[in-house]
Amino acid sequence: MEKLKIGGLKQSLELCQFDLRGLNSSEEIASKVSKLLLAQKINMEFLTFYSQRNNYNQLTFCISQDKFSATSKILKKEGSLPIGWEINSRGQVGIITIFPHQSAIMILGLIMFSWAAQSIPIYGIATSLSAISFVTDYQLADKAIKVIQDLFQMPEDHAPIKPEIRYHQSDIVKED
Amino acid sequence: METIAVYWESRIKTYGFQRIPDLALIEFSCPLSDIKSLGEIFSQDYLEILRPKFIIAQEAVHKISFVFCLPNKEGKDFHATLKKISRSTPERYIHPVSIIFFHGPHFGDRYGIADTTFSSLSKAGIKIIASGCSSASVFLVLAQHDIDKAEEILSETFEVAR
Repeated sequence: MEKLKIGGLKQSLELCQFDLRGLNSSEEIASKVSKLLLAQKINMEFLTFYSQRNNYNQLTFCISQDKFSATSKILKKEGSLPIGWEINSRGQVGIITIFPHQSAIMILGLIMFSWAAQSIPIYGIATSLSAISFVTDYQLADKAIKVIQDLFQMPEDHAPIKPEIRYHQSDIVKED
Repeated sequence: METIAVYWESRIKTYGFQRIPDLALIEFSCPLSDIKSLGEIFSQDYLEILRPKFIIAQEAVHKISFVFCLPNKEGKDFHATLKKISRSTPERYIHPVSIIFFHGPHFGDRYGIADTTFSSLSKAGIKIIASGCSSASVFLVLAQHDIDKAEEILSETFEVAR
């Protein structure tokens, strides 16, 4: 059977993940948490938010692993989050992104099935216009990528999968 | 590894805002132990015709919850399919919702973009139903009636690159 074609594959640097769950509060949680992280100049590389029918919300985000302790401390500080909000965190995760996803549901299904068969977990998923990103264990990223390479046909001139450049936001303000 | 510094813009640039109106949002969940079976169902040929405009999945307490946004007709069919699958629990169907999405230089590599987005919408009283930010893009799912106001607020907040 012919393999499904994909345009490419990309792996993130080592990240950590936070899952925050709780009831709606007067201040939107996504706004509150992003403000807390902005104050520490922490970039969120992945974020999903969903407001459920019962006013129960979940915000999941991934940041650089080296910001794990600082972020845990900020979130656990009294008054940082609305009362009753639950914080779960996980270190050493990575994001694997596939381009493009013309057959998004089939790609999603094949990866869910094949990773589960190899005991590779999925901690989060988000799509953009032409990509689908999966959060998994950083330690299992090589194994997860091998599964994808076996499942799909990739371009022969594929760019490196692992990141070669780390971006850092300077404090220099560019004036218009 | 090479490190490149990205300057801070006084007003964050985007490449513009795009909308996808009149979608159906479907939320469903399945136990983590059943993810392999659900994956097998999703990889069936008959679902290949579906073109979801937005997917997120979040793990929570031994289960994984999915949110899909699809054109309404596809959404109805997908919802009906999910009802037949014993392993998944359809929990919500909302129609109509709209998506507004945007990306910009170094989105994903720099801090402050999520705060600028969520704070401006929150201040304007616009409730976000769902959001997914990955691969340098920001996707927001809103009630259909909020989309004009959201674009207006975001256009005032971000600079649209010409």
